[in-house]
Amino acid sequence: MRAVVFDDIGRVSVTDVADPVIEGPGDAIVRVTLSAVCGSDLHFLHGKTPIDPGASIGHEAVGVVESTGSAAAGVARGDRVVVAFQIACGRCWFCRRGETQLCEDSGTLGAGAFGGSLPGAQAERLRVPNASVNLLRIPDDMDDEDAIFVGDIATSGYYAASLGEIGARDVVAVVGAGPVGFFCVQAARALGARRVFALDREPERLSLAARVGADPVNVAERHPVTVLAAATDGRGADVVIDAVGSVAAFDTAVAVVRRGGRVVILGVYASETVELQLGVYWARALDLRFAGITPVHAWWGPTMDAVAGGLIDPRPLVSHRLPLEDAARGYELFAARRATKVLLIP
Amino acid sequence: MPRFATDAWFQDLIAKINASSEYRDAAAAWEGDVAFLVEAEPDHGMPEDVWGVLDLWHGACRGGGAVDAETGRRAAYVIRAPYSRWKEVLLGDLDPTRAMMQGKLKVQGDLATIVRYVRAANELVHLTGEVDTQYPDEA
Repeated sequence: MRAVVFDDIGRVSVTDVADPVIEGPGDAIVRVTLSAVCGSDLHFLHGKTPIDPGASIGHEAVGVVESTGSAAAGVARGDRVVVAFQIACGRCWFCRRGETQLCEDSGTLGAGAFGGSLPGAQAERLRVPNASVNLLRIPDDMDDEDAIFVGDIATSGYYAASLGEIGARDVVAVVGAGPVGFFCVQAARALGARRVFALDREPERLSLAARVGADPVNVAERHPVTVLAAATDGRGADVVIDAVGSVAAFDTAVAVVRRGGRVVILGVYASETVELQLGVYWARALDLRFAGITPVHAWWGPTMDAVAGGLIDPRPLVSHRLPLEDAARGYELFAARRATKVLLIP
Repeated sequence: MPRFATDAWFQDLIAKINASSEYRDAAAAWEGDVAFLVEAEPDHGMPEDVWGVLDLWHGACRGGGAVDAETGRRAAYVIRAPYSRWKEVLLGDLDPTRAMMQGKLKVQGDLATIVRYVRAANELVHLTGEVDTQYPDEA
């Protein structure tokens, strides 16, 4: 079969790889009908996350179940499914609590040895371990394009907004209006936020956020502290979601939140360090909530419902629909930010 | 009338600091230069970040003025905020000590030391309010 593989830093290609087979009783083989390029795929492309040349990549996909192992309960041939980007066992102490991102046997699709050497989803077929846990059926009347992001970034947005306990009178700021921020905005709206401000410096991203209900703030033109203060009688945002994962974004998130407000740190951090004045944080009664990897299995049900109910609309995000064979071009467009989201059709 | 946070504005402020017996008393034991970062607000007439430094020592200001970012970052204390927030402080609408504790003015350096000199800080702010100032968003 054909699959996208990492060649070297800055280069991916589409090549022939072995067809997947059932390896464990919980496995399912999914014929991929649509996959997507995610921002975290770029970490491999840019060499920020190590991966061996030849490893297949990608972790956002929908498809049809072709075959199952003997213990893949609740999954049947012909089911239309969305795949969880993170693969959990479903049995350990953390999984039973719904904290599947902390699974004792966690893996990530298409992330090489770093993710447990699981196959990539940008392929014609995909083996999904523990299929009962890691596949979610797509409602019959929902298109693939509406469902695909429920396996990753749409649910991340919903999870972050839920973690922020957004209430009906809350003013929310989302730092970063990229694909994850796009869904954070919609989730915040779905949970009843009074106003949602999207902070970014790229007009196209802000325009997308505005289309789904955000007040766009171009931080290159307006200081976000001043904007949020003006909208809240000087207090600041009730809830802030850092959807970037950089020191600058963290700094902005903490600067625009009100005293006693909640900051949800959803963006991915690695070795960054910041100097914290604990006394100031204490005096401001700041509530910092580190989201970690999204426990997608615990939150994709309500996210799917929100998509089905029209509260979350993924469609404006998709800028390019390319054949799988053109994946290299899709990566190039996405890396250069000339695409907001690239779908790959096998 | 000097424009806010220009070198001429800082020189006027330095002259007022050195003429103030109240500041001299309140900051008699203070040691350490303080940098002020006025963060850009293009929509309020402040297109770029502006840095200034005051070399404060034992109740007097030994020098300072508008500086580049590299110089500003080397100061013992750095206080930063968006332009609009500085303006609130200068106009007396925002108490500087409370603003530091609430994170409205962000402090780099030993916050406890600054807070111990609350009277000096307030006098400094009082003096900034006495500088005839042309605010960029009112020009």
